[in-house]
Amino acid sequence: MVEFNFKSGDKVKFRLAREEIEGIVIESYDGDVVLLKLKSGYNIGIPKENILDCHVIEEFKDVKKNEKIVVSTSKDKPCIGLVVTGGTIAAKLDSRTGGTKPLTDVSEFMKFYPKLFERVNVKKMSVPFMVLSENMNYEHWITIAEHVKEMLNDSEIKGVIVTHGSDTLHYTASALSFFLRDLKKPVVLTFSQRSIDRASSDAELNLDCAVTFALSNCAEVVLVGHATQNDDYCYALRGTKVRKFHTSRRDTFKPVNIEPIAKVFPSKIEFLSKYNACSSGLTKLDCSFSDKVALHYYYPGQDPSILDYYLVQGYKGIVIAMTGLGHVASGDTKNSWDSTLKRLIKNGVAICAAPQTFYGRLNPKVYSTGRELEALGIIYLEDMLPETAFVKLSWVLGHKNWKGLVRDKMLEDVSGEFNTLLNE
Amino acid sequence: MIDYAKLGFKAGLEIHQQLDTPKLFSGAPSFLRNDKPDYIVMRKLHAVAGESGIVDEAVAHEASLDKEFFYEGYNDTISLVELDQEPPHSVNEEALNTALTVALLLNCETYPVTQVMRKTVIDGSNTSGFQRTVLIAHDGKVETSFGNVRIATVCLEEDSARVISKEKGKIIYRLDRLGIPLVEIATYPDLHNAEQVKECALKLGEILRACKVKRGIGTIRQDVNVSVKGHDRVEIKGFQDPKMMIKTVDCEIDRQLNDLKEGKTVGGVRNGLPDGMSEFLRPMPGASRMYPETDLSLLRIGRARIDMLKKNLPKLKTDIRDELRKKGVSEDLIELVLDDSELFDEFNILINVYSVDANLVAKMVTLWRQEFASKSGKSFDDVKLILNEKVYEEILNAINDEKITVSDVKQVLIKLIDGVKFSDAIKIEKISDDLIEKEIREIVKSKPGMRANAYMGMLMAKFKGKLDAKKAMELINRVLS
Repeated sequence: MVEFNFKSGDKVKFRLAREEIEGIVIESYDGDVVLLKLKSGYNIGIPKENILDCHVIEEFKDVKKNEKIVVSTSKDKPCIGLVVTGGTIAAKLDSRTGGTKPLTDVSEFMKFYPKLFERVNVKKMSVPFMVLSENMNYEHWITIAEHVKEMLNDSEIKGVIVTHGSDTLHYTASALSFFLRDLKKPVVLTFSQRSIDRASSDAELNLDCAVTFALSNCAEVVLVGHATQNDDYCYALRGTKVRKFHTSRRDTFKPVNIEPIAKVFPSKIEFLSKYNACSSGLTKLDCSFSDKVALHYYYPGQDPSILDYYLVQGYKGIVIAMTGLGHVASGDTKNSWDSTLKRLIKNGVAICAAPQTFYGRLNPKVYSTGRELEALGIIYLEDMLPETAFVKLSWVLGHKNWKGLVRDKMLEDVSGEFNTLLNE
Repeated sequence: MIDYAKLGFKAGLEIHQQLDTPKLFSGAPSFLRNDKPDYIVMRKLHAVAGESGIVDEAVAHEASLDKEFFYEGYNDTISLVELDQEPPHSVNEEALNTALTVALLLNCETYPVTQVMRKTVIDGSNTSGFQRTVLIAHDGKVETSFGNVRIATVCLEEDSARVISKEKGKIIYRLDRLGIPLVEIATYPDLHNAEQVKECALKLGEILRACKVKRGIGTIRQDVNVSVKGHDRVEIKGFQDPKMMIKTVDCEIDRQLNDLKEGKTVGGVRNGLPDGMSEFLRPMPGASRMYPETDLSLLRIGRARIDMLKKNLPKLKTDIRDELRKKGVSEDLIELVLDDSELFDEFNILINVYSVDANLVAKMVTLWRQEFASKSGKSFDDVKLILNEKVYEEILNAINDEKITVSDVKQVLIKLIDGVKFSDAIKIEKISDDLIEKEIREIVKSKPGMRANAYMGMLMAKFKGKLDAKKAMELINRVLS
């Protein structure tokens, strides 16, 4: 076997059994294959075993261009804060090596989103971490909240934009909705579903509309993203009543059990429902959080003893995504959950019910199953989304001083997580 | 006469041919539609920061930026991939195999491993802002009477959306064409005269048509690159019509020579016109920006697949012509069969059912329907409806099963046209050998001393179609000997 003396970016010549081939070595995620960029621009792969000899023609030099990117600021432009946390919206492709790299500083962000910087002064930009959203946990949510709060309390900053991977963005939106208390300014979370190296990326419109919303008079935590398949406007969706509904479409986030707060165009906003207006004063932070809370999905026939695991592991609360109006197997039936639920509640575990259907409100009073379960002490969370319920229960249980108030706090409308009218 | 060699003439061809398979990265059906679309979506394209991080010059100056593009689609044939709402699926196997078959017929070397690339396209014709393309083979050759022409590359790529209307800067595309697989063949500039350009184009066309490709207007797009000594390369688009190829090339040579007289040498892209002339379209584009399709893993073509395809390579018409000649089919019939792709397909199916008498099959698909139509007074279409491929197949099977003989076929067909049921039509009333022999003996006795053919004529007159001619001749010869 030939010993390889080249690295990504090197210009090389390989001798194969029937020909010689020249190109630039590209980072390959496949150990058996060397990827080569040919002069034509095409990449081809060569199985390593086929390379009889290799010769480095030109070594790769990482030319660090000292480009001076001047972040343009102007007194006429309003100021915003920007928190970058990773995800597709902040990942660029390095075509020389073939890998992806995060956009980690202001100047780089500016290269990709020049429009943003034309419209506003990005007075503060922070990159607390670059994490794919599926890899986040509540500590990341707290960090984001801290960065956002600091920016919000800068009197010049009109609003804060958080860019974030879309997969779990609705959890983060929920968390910020509960963590940021006495919110005085807009907090906008946005994302992208199509990578930003392509001219068709949805990041452009999402970010453009996020800016519009960040400059608005609406002091709410919202998620801004494509409203439809078209590149014309976005919806601003309440942070506690939004969910990702599609694996790949641009208009993946939909409001649940409520109207969008607003239709957001790059140049205007049409408000569709009531909101808290901006006001003066400082936004506070309340990031108490318990990591001993689970979100559990019920399915027909499920053995309830699975719940004992949570008890053994010291869990303090479980949100159960229940069927229909709020049911799990109960009464005189195989795998009835009654006695297990009773035991957990008796042991101090807060059991909450949220709708598996997503749409509509739980109502334990209609069927005897529901009435029996309610009598056990389960907290029925009306029309609250299971994901929101999980975040809220963790937040509520994180407050040691709210002991005995869990039911009251869970049913109190803290950040628009309930909608009595269920108007969509 | 143009002295091509003296002028330093060089030319190469680039051909894009649609494949008759599902779409390349979605598996959606790949046909064009003219009915009313179900929906329309609006998209914008924007500048993208390039390698250096700075927004690509060419992209930044593209007038299409911030322009609104509209895309028409259908609920039942357009997928989320065409809408740029879903990552690509793995490359369609049938399309890949077809493109590789083309490459093998062109004697190319295939790549064992390759990578799907994104080629930046921002005129709106791709919802994604790029065209997916993959290099699958290189360095092949085709033979022409002037010598071999080397094939530089064979790529498999996705077709763009087609423009439906363009008014006041508002472009409406339809997504039906987007994603249809294209095989792209590029030759080296090995063509040394206009006649060879045409011959090579026809040869490549023949190879493509032997594979699973779409037929008809718009399914093949061909460009020719032409230069004479001292002049930069000029690409002429829309170079499809074989009748105009020589003229177009010669006109371009004239034009370049004129350019040189005026001291101009700049190449460019021109649009071929029906009269052989061409009009300026745009300057020669720089190398396209290409980067990997990160949503797909490496494409492994593999030895096993190539071996399988090599075993099943389709036959070219030239080869088929030779074979038919060997089988004794007349030149006229061969031409008729090869001339019409539909007839040719039918012929291929039927010859597989009954391969003993290629002449019979050729006559059945080419000549007889028309003949019966004029004789019976029925329209050709009506005759074709009765004597369809399925019926032909059954008749040939009846020969195989020895229910009828080759000489009965025409009689059966005539009965079918007259409305006789198939099961009745193939019941041929046969005269027993004994009876025939008896008849022969009587004829020979009454008119002795004649040639066998003369007796045959008399026998035929008596029994008409009920006689198996071959068998009768045997009997006559036996009696006479």
